[in-house]
Amino acid sequence: MKNSKLFQPYTTTQPASTATQTLEETTHLLTESSQAKLKSIPLKPIRDETPIIAVDVSSMKIGETDIGILCAIRAAVVWKQKHQYRYLRLGPFPFHITEENKNEVYHLFRQYSFLEQPTLDYTSTLSLIYAPTRLGALLERWLQMSIAAQTRKSLILWDGSLTAGTQDAPVAVISHLLETARNRSNIVLAFTKITRLRLLGYRLTDYIGKCTPPCLLEINGYPMNLSKAIQFLGNIYVAKLSEGNCSFRLDIDFRLPQERAVEAAQRLIGNEVLLQSYPETLRLAHIYSTFTANEVIGIQRFLAQTHQLRIVTRPNMRRLLFGPFGKGPES
Amino acid sequence: MRLYRKEGNTIQILCLPNESVEKGDYIQVGDPKQDKALLIQVIDVQFANIPGILEELLRDSTNNGDIVNGENLDPLDVASQITLIQDARLIICKIRGTIQNGKLSVSSAWLPSRSQSTVKKLSTTALAALLKINEKLPIYVGETKGSSPLRVDATAFDGKLNIITGKKETGKSHFSKLLVLSLIDYGAPVAVLDLNGEYAHLDHTSDGKKNQHYTKIHVLTPSSNFKVMLSQIKLRVMLNILIHALNLPGTSAREFRRIWRFLNEHAKLSLHELGEAIRNWQCNHHVKDALFSRYYALVNSGFLTDNPSEAITLEDYFRKIRTGGALVINLRDTSFADRQIVVEYLLGKLVEMLTSWKLRAVFLVAEEAHLYLRETYWNDIVTRMRHFGVFTTFVTNQPDTIRENIYRQADNIFLFNFTNAHDLETVSRAAKVDSETVKSIARDLPPRHCLLLGGVVKDFPIVVKVRALDVQTMGQTRLFFNQNTSF
Repeated sequence: MKNSKLFQPYTTTQPASTATQTLEETTHLLTESSQAKLKSIPLKPIRDETPIIAVDVSSMKIGETDIGILCAIRAAVVWKQKHQYRYLRLGPFPFHITEENKNEVYHLFRQYSFLEQPTLDYTSTLSLIYAPTRLGALLERWLQMSIAAQTRKSLILWDGSLTAGTQDAPVAVISHLLETARNRSNIVLAFTKITRLRLLGYRLTDYIGKCTPPCLLEINGYPMNLSKAIQFLGNIYVAKLSEGNCSFRLDIDFRLPQERAVEAAQRLIGNEVLLQSYPETLRLAHIYSTFTANEVIGIQRFLAQTHQLRIVTRPNMRRLLFGPFGKGPES
Repeated sequence: MRLYRKEGNTIQILCLPNESVEKGDYIQVGDPKQDKALLIQVIDVQFANIPGILEELLRDSTNNGDIVNGENLDPLDVASQITLIQDARLIICKIRGTIQNGKLSVSSAWLPSRSQSTVKKLSTTALAALLKINEKLPIYVGETKGSSPLRVDATAFDGKLNIITGKKETGKSHFSKLLVLSLIDYGAPVAVLDLNGEYAHLDHTSDGKKNQHYTKIHVLTPSSNFKVMLSQIKLRVMLNILIHALNLPGTSAREFRRIWRFLNEHAKLSLHELGEAIRNWQCNHHVKDALFSRYYALVNSGFLTDNPSEAITLEDYFRKIRTGGALVINLRDTSFADRQIVVEYLLGKLVEMLTSWKLRAVFLVAEEAHLYLRETYWNDIVTRMRHFGVFTTFVTNQPDTIRENIYRQADNIFLFNFTNAHDLETVSRAAKVDSETVKSIARDLPPRHCLLLGGVVKDFPIVVKVRALDVQTMGQTRLFFNQNTSF
């Protein structure tokens, strides 16, 4: 506590929609090095009507049955072309996942997600609790691949980072996605809203505070205490693309020359509406995919009506045991 | 529909948009275990407070412009259920009573089960059957929302004070005419103080033909076919006219009383002799001036005459309508002061006839009574005169012209649309129903729809679309731009 002056209190209430849990939840530390440097790169907008495409997926646990869980997934693709935003919303797709069918559902998703057969049998360890997140991630990869393969000379915005090496983001898959995008002259820009990446103990985004926007802060040469499986497939920047207090971690394909990466950021600020440094296309994709509480009720009703399911309210153990002190989500 | 919550005598019901419920409808909340049902009435329909609805509406609002548009791929049509939830309604109801063993009581001291109770609409026909409001002398007033006819009992108007109110052009006078004709059909005598000459042609159909009421409607127009001789007027009535209608001071009234007695003793009670007597009377010249000015006001009204062939006897007309008929006093072309003279005379005569049992009872319909009825008469009519057998129906579009104590004593209120909050506040003071019901339902009543309150519906408010009448109503406003008729 002695070196810390600021803290952000967490809110106790959960948002209505739980977006896919990504690797950004894991804290990685960049350690000190003599070769390491922080470099500020000022940006000049390039206005050339480059198409901007964003994709986001939300998954949500809808309820429980006696043999499994009910969940729903929804995806949104938003693109901006010629000053107009268009969107395609896919879903909601409700699923009933049980111990019996989880392998079948998972393999079905993998089949359409351009993924190779897993080297490990992930399904044996796939917990039902994480199944919605996992299915959401697979749908997101499928959409990312579809966009990368069907567009040209576009900026593709992802929600999250280019950190690979997990079940949801295998290195081979993310590499293949980036390669497909590169081959069609697309550039993937991955925005992380809240990064846990810390440099010398401080949150990465805190370092850009004094830079004048629009600019990028290049994080280069810092060794990282990563496990062997985890790989960064993008160069990491801190982006402050417009006026305001917010800055974000921005990952750009590390196989691209730095000039092209900077040029991509300049095209983004030249052709996109940015509010608090965050691209509008990606914001819309998030908004269109997110489930509201009312939608959850609607999906529950749909499932109850179409499958004659009886909705059962299980007692909240925390509430039951601790009364008003029983806070936090029900496990 | 599901029972959601109860606070005081307010019940909230949750329902989906495919379950059609409107203000004024009755709902039955049945508890199978307790074997009884709570009868509640819808007073408001709101959107249910669904969590996340604001986010959804904000998100959808981005689609409205040209800036963002797109499409949804929803092969399972889950969105239809989401839309259903978005449109879920919260029905605000007031408890009216309890149905047990097919009988209705006003008891509401129990609570049905929230999880087990069945919630369903109760048709107005079924309600009317439970209330038994149309058993003796049914009056067909119109149709309820379910297009079922509603009949009320004519006896519910007997000995009662009624108020018909609503804003302009909502159908008050139409309803009043329906009431008059229905009472006539059951043999009741009705006197109408007709401010706008609307009732004069109730004996003709809309296409100008004589109808079944032709011999039962008698129209008297002051200073035309309604003139009386001074000898027909009692001193008490004349003093009322002079003091209240013509503002004669007390000292002058005392002098007038002496003159009147003198003329009466000498059997010279005529308009001419009265003028001569005032001229020759030995009294203060200010008093004489005051008496002369009132005398000329009486003469100029044209209501009094010395010609016996011009004068009518009101008793004769009331005799004609004793077994069913209406005496319409057409006050359309009568000045404010003259109207007061005529009304003072009529009411005085009515009391006289009723106290001497020349008339059993009379239903008095008074349109915009504040324009001719003096202040002190209001309480007199609703209390004293009611006991003599004058059963009044006030018709007004200015509810604040009727005092609060009159509303409190009203037995039946027929409420048409009001949008003005002040008017609603005034009417809501009526003791027959809670103010929330009045304010909420009356505000949204369409034209020609009436909220029936009071004994006529056994204190169970019912909304009815008043039926049409095939009579010449003459109530339409003369328009400038509709110049098909020449001067």
